[in-house]
Amino acid sequence: MDILTLAWKNLWRNRRRSFITLTALSLSLMLMQGFHNLAVGSYARMIDSGVRAGSGHIALYRGDYNRSRDEALTYAAADLPKQLSAVTEVEHVLPRVYLPGLAQSSRESRGILLTGIAPADEAAVNPFLRQLEAGSLLNSSEGRGALLGSRLASELKLSVGNKLVITVQNRRGDLISELFRIRGIVHTGLRDVDGSLVMVGLKKAASMGGFPGEIHELALILNRAANVSEVMPKLTALMRHSAVHAVAWDVAMPNLSNSIKLDYASQKVIFAIMLLIVTIGIVNTMLMSVMERVREFGIILAVGASPGRLFQMILAEGLVMGILSVVTGSLLGSLLTWYLVDHGIDLRRIMPQSIEFGGVIFDPVLRAIWDLPWMAKISLYLLGLALAATIYPAIKAARLAPAEAMRHV
Amino acid sequence: MPLIQLTDVEKIYPLGNQQVVALSEFSLSIDKGEFTVLAGPSGSGKTTVLNLIGGIDQPTRGRIEIEGRDVGRRSTRALADFRLRHIGFIFQSYNLIPVLTAAENAEFTLMLQGMTKPARRARIRDLFADLGIGGLENRKPRDLSGGQQQRVAVARAMASHPAVILADEPTANLDSQTAEGLLDLMHRLNRQHHTTFIFSSHDPLVISRARRIVRLRDGRLEDDRVQQP
Ligand SMILES: Nc1ncnc2c1ncn2[C@@H]1O[C@H](COP(=O)(O)OP(=O)(O)O)[C@@H](O)[C@H]1O
Ligand SMILES: [Mg+2]
Repeated sequence: MDILTLAWKNLWRNRRRSFITLTALSLSLMLMQGFHNLAVGSYARMIDSGVRAGSGHIALYRGDYNRSRDEALTYAAADLPKQLSAVTEVEHVLPRVYLPGLAQSSRESRGILLTGIAPADEAAVNPFLRQLEAGSLLNSSEGRGALLGSRLASELKLSVGNKLVITVQNRRGDLISELFRIRGIVHTGLRDVDGSLVMVGLKKAASMGGFPGEIHELALILNRAANVSEVMPKLTALMRHSAVHAVAWDVAMPNLSNSIKLDYASQKVIFAIMLLIVTIGIVNTMLMSVMERVREFGIILAVGASPGRLFQMILAEGLVMGILSVVTGSLLGSLLTWYLVDHGIDLRRIMPQSIEFGGVIFDPVLRAIWDLPWMAKISLYLLGLALAATIYPAIKAARLAPAEAMRHV
Repeated sequence: MPLIQLTDVEKIYPLGNQQVVALSEFSLSIDKGEFTVLAGPSGSGKTTVLNLIGGIDQPTRGRIEIEGRDVGRRSTRALADFRLRHIGFIFQSYNLIPVLTAAENAEFTLMLQGMTKPARRARIRDLFADLGIGGLENRKPRDLSGGQQQRVAVARAMASHPAVILADEPTANLDSQTAEGLLDLMHRLNRQHHTTFIFSSHDPLVISRARRIVRLRDGRLEDDRVQQP
């Protein structure tokens, strides 16, 4: 305890210098904690909207449909949705059918992706269906109603109420054409999707494809608290005897998961640079403070402190500085996080258009979430760095020869 | 057996390409309870002798024994521990750690020895009163006069009851009256506790107060005599 008291007193010897170093340490910890929490919050939202618009937290496919998109890889939904809904973590089960095809209006034609959905289930989950650009949602799984992507609709020069013909190839290789009427226009903000999306009822799409009762994908949306990696084994066990298997969102949507990884990697690089600068700052402060006290260390050694003891005394100064900056930095970091959780950062002021990230459109208001374990981890890391940065100055002091140190003025 | 025995000690400092002979063919033996001054002009080797006896410097040649044990042949750690338990040091000036109070400075070696704070305080209290600095315990060194600072340094040196107190020109920065007071104090401690004092000085007034005068010139023993008070 004495050694820490002494360290505390020595730390305040050069008030301004210590204050500047402490401020640099605390502020960098604050920024790292705040921005990490903001990033984690944003990623969580991106993943949330990504899985809701895309293939869910977990998708069920037959064979390698996930990669090959081979239309032949359908499977009978049967009572699978019911079984899956019984899993506690599963909130929604969305069956889907995907068929590439051609859409024709009286004047134009375009290649499209015909997507068969269960209208009621999908409407509850898919963020794009919450606010249609025009018209209304599908009302039946078998009807002739269709939702079109906004760009597709304008390229085909169609609007709500107009008719169009969709042509797909069925299982036997025959071309099947059906007439649809546009019920609504969907605007996702994703250029490709808006230019090719046609949503129709699931049963209608399956029967056009020649595989009534079968689907390509079951997208599972989990509840908030659930953890994908914990649910995966349950599903794998459930699907043991089936040709269908579960794929987690990061595998099913590699774009999104890779974009997040890349973004976080670049953030980590920035953190590493910050930590490096901070470490140099501590080394500098400690080295200066040690060089100023050479004579004093000579006296301390002369009256009987061992070099190891002197080393500890200086290391204690680094420790005290580390603890102090971790405490104030974490306090400031918590304040920043609290603000970012409550108010967030509104990107609409900077970027007026909707924002795409890894093939997902996300909420332009970034909000942090509390990642307490990480905050603790980075704090300990900083403390470790403060100690490590003090080792070299402490060794320098401990190696002093007392007689010579005392001649030092 | 003498308390301190230096035999044919030589100390050479490297200085660039040259060598400075700080001490040569130097032998000296000091018994327990002596009150000895190392006298001589600046550069004659007084500090070197004190540093060698105190084990904060090693001789180039020769033997230094304290209580029959060779000081030169010990590890850095063992030497530090030896100083902590057997030697008290007082230096010319800026002796004290500026961030610590007078009492904390005096307790410093006791703290290094691992003594608890209440025990340290108890030991220091009487010592401060005895040294005439009672009541100044909580002052920082910069709020003390030069004489008071040196008394705190004496308190630190005395605190762990060492066998020898080495004082390198302890009065150099004090006015003559304050210097007298400090010498009186050292004399009294020498008599009361039988603590061996070895101090250096080039001030005739101070030198005249010692019982034994060891004169140095150019790193050699010039004269060694006991004077009657
Ligand atoms: N570290 C050192 N490097 C080189 N020369 C030194 C060193 N320490 C002392 N000396 C030299 O050794 C001689 C004796 O010095 P010192 O013992 O300090 O004398 P005093 O204390 O009597 O003034 C002087 O000539 C001094 O310059
Ligand atoms: Mg000297």
